[in-house]
Amino acid sequence: MDGWRDHLIVAPILLPLAASGLMLLLDERRQTAKRAIGLAATFALLLISVQLLHDVVVAGLEGAPATRTYLIGDWPSPFGIVLVVDWLSALMLALTSILGFTSLVYATARWDSAGPRFHALFLLQLVGLNGAFLTGDLFNLFVFFEVLLAASYGLMLHGSGAARVKAGLHYVAINVATSLLFLIGAALIYGVAGTLNMADLATRIPAIAGTDLALFQAGMAVLGVAFLVKAGMWPLGFWLPPTYSAATPPAAALFAILSKVGLYAVLRVFLLLFGTEDSPMPNFGEEFLLYGGMATIAFGTIGLLACRTLSRLVGFSVLISSGTLLAALGSGEGAVLGAVLFYLVSSTLAIGAFYLLVELVERQETDSVASGMVEAVFDDEYTGAIHPGEDGEVGTVIPATIAILGGGFIFCALLLAGMPPLSGFIAKFAIIHGLLALDHQIPLSTWSLVALIIISGLATLIATSRAGIDLIWAPTDKPQPVLRVAEAAPVGLLLAICLALMVFAGPVMNYMERTGRSLEDRQGYIQAVKGVERVHPPVPSSR
Amino acid sequence: MEIVLALAIGILTGSGVWLILRPRTFQVIVGLSLMSYAVNLFIYAMGRLRVDAPPIAESGVAADPSQYADPLPQALVLTAIVISFAMTALLLVVLLASRGLTGTDHVDGKEPD
Amino acid sequence: MSDDGVLWLMLALPFAGSLTAAFLPVRARNAAGVLAGAVALAGTFLTAILYSRISGGEVIRAEIEWLPSLGLNLLLRLDGLSWIFAFLVLAVGFLVVLYARYYMSPEDPVPRFFSFLLAFMGSMLGLVVAGNLVQLAFFWELTSLFSFLLIGYWHHNQSARDAARMALIVTAAGGLCLLIGLLLIGKIVGSYDLDVALASGDLVRSSELYVPALILILIGAFTKSAQFPFHFWLPHAMAAPTPVSAYLHSATMVKAGVFVLILLWPVLAGTDIWYLIVSTTGLATLLFGAWAAMFQQDLKGLLAYSTISHLGLITLLLGLGSPLAAVAAIFHTLNHATFKASLFMAAGIVDHETGTRDLRKLSGLSKFMPITATLAMVAAAAMAGVPLLNGFLSKEMFLAEALDQHRGTIIDQALPVLATLALAFSVLYSLRFIHQSFFGPPPVGLPREPREPPGWMRLPIEILVLACLIVGIVPALTIGPFLDTAVRSVLHERTPQYSLAIWHGFTAPLLLSFIALASGTAGYLMFRERLNRRESAPLMRRLKGRKAFEAVLAAIMSVARALERLLGTRSLQSQLRLLALIALLAALLPFMRDGYSLGSHPGTIVDPGFAVIWIVGGACAVGAAWQAKYHRLAALILMAGAGLASCISFVWLSAPDLAITQLLVETVTTVLLLLGLRWLPRRLKEVWPENRTPWQVKLRRGSDLAIAVAAGAGMTLLAYAIMSRTPPDSISREFVARSYPEGGGTNVVNVILVDFRSFDTLGEISVLGIVALTVFSLLRRFRPAAESVATPDQQLVQDAHDDARKDRRIGDTLADYLLVPRVLMQWLFPVILVLALYLFIRGHDMPGGGFAAGITLSVGLILQYMALGTRRAEDRLRMRPIRWIGLGFLVALATGAGAWLFDHPFLTSWFRYLELPIFGSVPLASALLFDLGVFLVVVGATALILIALAHQSIRTPRAGGIAPLDPAQSRID
Repeated sequence: MDGWRDHLIVAPILLPLAASGLMLLLDERRQTAKRAIGLAATFALLLISVQLLHDVVVAGLEGAPATRTYLIGDWPSPFGIVLVVDWLSALMLALTSILGFTSLVYATARWDSAGPRFHALFLLQLVGLNGAFLTGDLFNLFVFFEVLLAASYGLMLHGSGAARVKAGLHYVAINVATSLLFLIGAALIYGVAGTLNMADLATRIPAIAGTDLALFQAGMAVLGVAFLVKAGMWPLGFWLPPTYSAATPPAAALFAILSKVGLYAVLRVFLLLFGTEDSPMPNFGEEFLLYGGMATIAFGTIGLLACRTLSRLVGFSVLISSGTLLAALGSGEGAVLGAVLFYLVSSTLAIGAFYLLVELVERQETDSVASGMVEAVFDDEYTGAIHPGEDGEVGTVIPATIAILGGGFIFCALLLAGMPPLSGFIAKFAIIHGLLALDHQIPLSTWSLVALIIISGLATLIATSRAGIDLIWAPTDKPQPVLRVAEAAPVGLLLAICLALMVFAGPVMNYMERTGRSLEDRQGYIQAVKGVERVHPPVPSSR
Repeated sequence: MEIVLALAIGILTGSGVWLILRPRTFQVIVGLSLMSYAVNLFIYAMGRLRVDAPPIAESGVAADPSQYADPLPQALVLTAIVISFAMTALLLVVLLASRGLTGTDHVDGKEPD
Repeated sequence: MSDDGVLWLMLALPFAGSLTAAFLPVRARNAAGVLAGAVALAGTFLTAILYSRISGGEVIRAEIEWLPSLGLNLLLRLDGLSWIFAFLVLAVGFLVVLYARYYMSPEDPVPRFFSFLLAFMGSMLGLVVAGNLVQLAFFWELTSLFSFLLIGYWHHNQSARDAARMALIVTAAGGLCLLIGLLLIGKIVGSYDLDVALASGDLVRSSELYVPALILILIGAFTKSAQFPFHFWLPHAMAAPTPVSAYLHSATMVKAGVFVLILLWPVLAGTDIWYLIVSTTGLATLLFGAWAAMFQQDLKGLLAYSTISHLGLITLLLGLGSPLAAVAAIFHTLNHATFKASLFMAAGIVDHETGTRDLRKLSGLSKFMPITATLAMVAAAAMAGVPLLNGFLSKEMFLAEALDQHRGTIIDQALPVLATLALAFSVLYSLRFIHQSFFGPPPVGLPREPREPPGWMRLPIEILVLACLIVGIVPALTIGPFLDTAVRSVLHERTPQYSLAIWHGFTAPLLLSFIALASGTAGYLMFRERLNRRESAPLMRRLKGRKAFEAVLAAIMSVARALERLLGTRSLQSQLRLLALIALLAALLPFMRDGYSLGSHPGTIVDPGFAVIWIVGGACAVGAAWQAKYHRLAALILMAGAGLASCISFVWLSAPDLAITQLLVETVTTVLLLLGLRWLPRRLKEVWPENRTPWQVKLRRGSDLAIAVAAGAGMTLLAYAIMSRTPPDSISREFVARSYPEGGGTNVVNVILVDFRSFDTLGEISVLGIVALTVFSLLRRFRPAAESVATPDQQLVQDAHDDARKDRRIGDTLADYLLVPRVLMQWLFPVILVLALYLFIRGHDMPGGGFAAGITLSVGLILQYMALGTRRAEDRLRMRPIRWIGLGFLVALATGAGAWLFDHPFLTSWFRYLELPIFGSVPLASALLFDLGVFLVVVGATALILIALAHQSIRTPRAGGIAPLDPAQSRID
């Protein structure tokens, strides 16, 4: 192995874990030190993920296999745990680190002081996400799901308060139950196929005897349900809008990627195991994705029109985004895969930006950060919960705050509605183009999907325009909200990236299409994972 | 043994599911614990059962797999036990907080009307 | 510079200008005005340059690769038609900028205004020079967006906000339809390139997707061009500043729909359905608009409805489908732009100088502003179609077409009459516009003293009116060639013979227009008084577009709310119910298809002892389920019983590690729940009316029971099906085989945990740590409910007892309470420490390991807390659990990263056996170090959770125990 470049693959998991460990050694009062560590770590993650992405692209351009693996503990592939970086995981890593960095910067403006140990939890959340995107092992995927869930519970409850706790109770209960489903599914699969390594699993599927097939599929189905709960598919996703809108803005912004983890899992596992060719059960569960996804879009649209607050509105657009992705996947058009990924990236960034913006737009004089009971419980107690009177304290006040907020708001709304000039338009166009692309008769389901996508976009426009006009245009006696650079900059950055996605749509779409092809090329992945050699095969002398 | 274990798993699951569908937080937490017992046994069962197989490989030589109970599910169960323990603890505290903040132990944070 | 370059520059300029204007200081009105004017003028100039090439019927195409894989490239395309529209956009744009500079008040932060205006100009340009269908839709939506921003420019007035939103929603919705329609066209012809589409008209018309595509595109065009029934947004858009009305809502944006219809005319027109839809819509709009315009009292309102009616006229012409009609349509589009823009500007001046736009208040202004009056009169005459003005020419063409037969339908028969009628109306309202405001006695009670506006403000009108005149007098020499290029670029070889002569002799059209003029004038003289008395147009109460729109929106909202309640839920129970049901179904489906079957694996014989254990265990589980509501403690004990049963079965089934861990976890969990129980409310038996359980409750319980039973049965069947099958060739064989030789441990399970799959363990301890942190931070904000903080009864009794006795102080009994076991517990601590150490060391070879050791130690700790009480325990030993967790993470990571020094992957293990004098052979593996990390995290986490929970009992509750105020609450509705 050629040194650090290979170890870079495992870095996205280790770096934040180490950083959080370091923070836990620090006394609770050392807030600035923690901010520094957190920002440094997330920024490093950003660089690392970009490097990994770059490596993949370079390899892809040279026609070399872009999939790279890392044997944890140097144990050979089928039974050791393998980390895999390929087109998809590199993309997801990059997306995660972008959202992570921006929301953390935003958090440092005020929210990280709303309760103890925010930074550690935030980094551990990244550990879970990156792990889930990197691992090539089913049970290890479960473990990292738990890591990211546990951290998300922590972040979601960060700042406490009745609303968060109420929503949190549902969130935790539902997801704990879901994790049990995940275990049942994974266990069944192991019981039938005798392996946990996904690539190995893919190769074993054809060998599964007829009578075992039903059991195996039952396992996959249960697993699928677990994934779809995370993705918020109707009727499993009612917990999502309340949870996200109760969470503090930076947490909610990071959660934008959380709901995509379920989708990632579906993409990864189902395309790998039930990809079109030579699997005994091709396109397993496709129509469930299609109709479930369409139902999700419909419900999201309804909720969007029904809801009265901005934060819930964004929550429902998370559902719409998930639904669109699921349905497009379920439509079974290979052509649409690239577009789906483009949409995934674009909508995730947009939702993240919107969550950060919502709080600024809705910000009242009374501040939620306030009123933490500060009493020493024991030595490691966190005193000085919030710097009192921070609310009045003005960071860098930018003139024409409203203009900036308004502009940001319009852009977010347009992104979610799929209107020009930002990447949202391209994303939706690409999906519809892909859906209509095939030459044979277009099925009714596809037509209705296209209609739903358009209608949901229109509904987003109706809802956001109403909310935006009331919040931003309507004259108000409220004092202008204070806008710090640390809060405006992240939103700006996210929107700028969306703009870049738009301007460089060609290359970006190329990447996405390559990713789509790599997902369909199951053998490529399998070879890459199973063919990997141990770095140091055991030598007898070592004993 | 198999049939007994299977039935045991079933009973645990059944009682657990019944409980998580109840309206009181405490019922839910007990239910989830029961279900996790069931799931642990289930995972273990996936490695098939072995009665009085030596749990420990004898030193010095590479062991013959056929002599042992499948160790992998056991390892998985161990991980699962720990995680479900953590989640139970978390859920407990969340429900206490909810009880404290909302004044009720109903899962929806308010008494049904 | 190449023509392509010129084209790109032409498109880029307005956007660049818009950006620059956006960053100008708020008061820099002159700078902004000059910038905008310069941009528009430069654009006009550039367009003029390009004409030389267009005139030859050539098409300029400038392409930049953008999204090739989806056939979407930035493609600018300039032919005769787009040229003339581009020229219109830029030239009129310049005049409007000039006008706006003087119209907008000095207090207004105009840079923003001009920024939006320029951005709109750019979008409109992009629309007309788009060479790609998708790009067309792209800029189309942009025009909607900027029109929204411009209408809402004065967003402090409610009317402006509403109008802006209505316009946005209507036109954007249309835009979405247009997009799909265009995509369908693209699908039919296999390319989004406009030229390809234009070349394959027959293919499109013959495709089965033609009708949907057509309808979608028409919806788009009609919404934008304010065709009936989508017209209603336009009159309200008059809330915009007048320059905007003049520019967007008469000259350019509302022409976008018409433009697309003309552009795609060769592709889409000529079929019956086209004829039917387009011409009827156009006719309806023509009549309706003209009729409504007569009854307006607001100058701008009148002009708005007349715009609607003229757009209808153009649509009607396009609908007729004959080449000549198309020519007339193009021609009238230009004429209308000139005279209507000038009329709006005139109306703006009147408004500006008198302070009102109410026709009933206005009168005799010609004495105060003679020049403006004259200009307005000429423009209005053009609108009425008076000879020697441009309006007349296109109107003649229109009448000629109206008299011509096309499809021989009822429309054809009725057209001459209806057309004449509509023209009569337009004569009437034009006359009314002029006569009411400029003639008659001098006005009374005007907000301001009317006078001539500054000359610069009048200049744009003068130019436009001049255009009306010369085009009207010498059409062939002025507009002729340009019109011809435009027409040829659309019709190509189908270009008909037409003459722009003013005099065609005494023809039927001439007669009709004479009738129209006469009757219109007569009508005005007859009805002027009555018209002034009307508030709204008759026959129109049914057609309140805006009311309908708002009603629809409101309906959508309420329906959505109802549906959300119907299709969604916020109760945890129903969500979990759904989850359980769907999981059941998902697992069931495969068996529905393939059926359920058992394998032939020789099972193990049932041991009665084992059966007994599970009879008890099962009873415990069911008991727990049954008791959990009213007797929590009992339920807890029963649950522990079930847990114990599974511990024993693990021992039985040769899995000692599981047994140990389960037992330990069992203990800690129970302690936890016991600590928690105290904060839960006393559960009172719920009393139903005449204590009979209502049937809904019974039903719900019944269904839940069914689900529970089904779930249990399902798990049983699954488990048994697997266990009855011969195990597959599992990867775990490898583990057993390699455990000692390569893992250096004989306890395979432990070796898996700390070596083969140590990565799982790393994740596992992270979870533990995270949860501990969450618990800790959540409990810091914990508010015990008011009633659950009272001192326990037992303690009260004890204290009372102490109080009664002389020789005792209060609290003594409490201190002595359970003295012996407490002493024992204290003595136990060292023992437990040793046990933990032992478990830890042997872990690699025998059951045990870091986790077991960690839990054991924390049990020891909690015992100390029990024995000494929280405060004294903490005086004895200062725990810093969070540091333990952090340290654990770092140790585990460092162990793993250590492998890097030897250029091994993360977590590669290394081991030796150490021969120690007393202990004998002690395993010394790097895995052991990793296990130390595990140990630290487990101790830290468990201790943190237990202690944090234990602490709740010694904290004083805050009065009332109300939660801190939190916007999250207000954010959840």
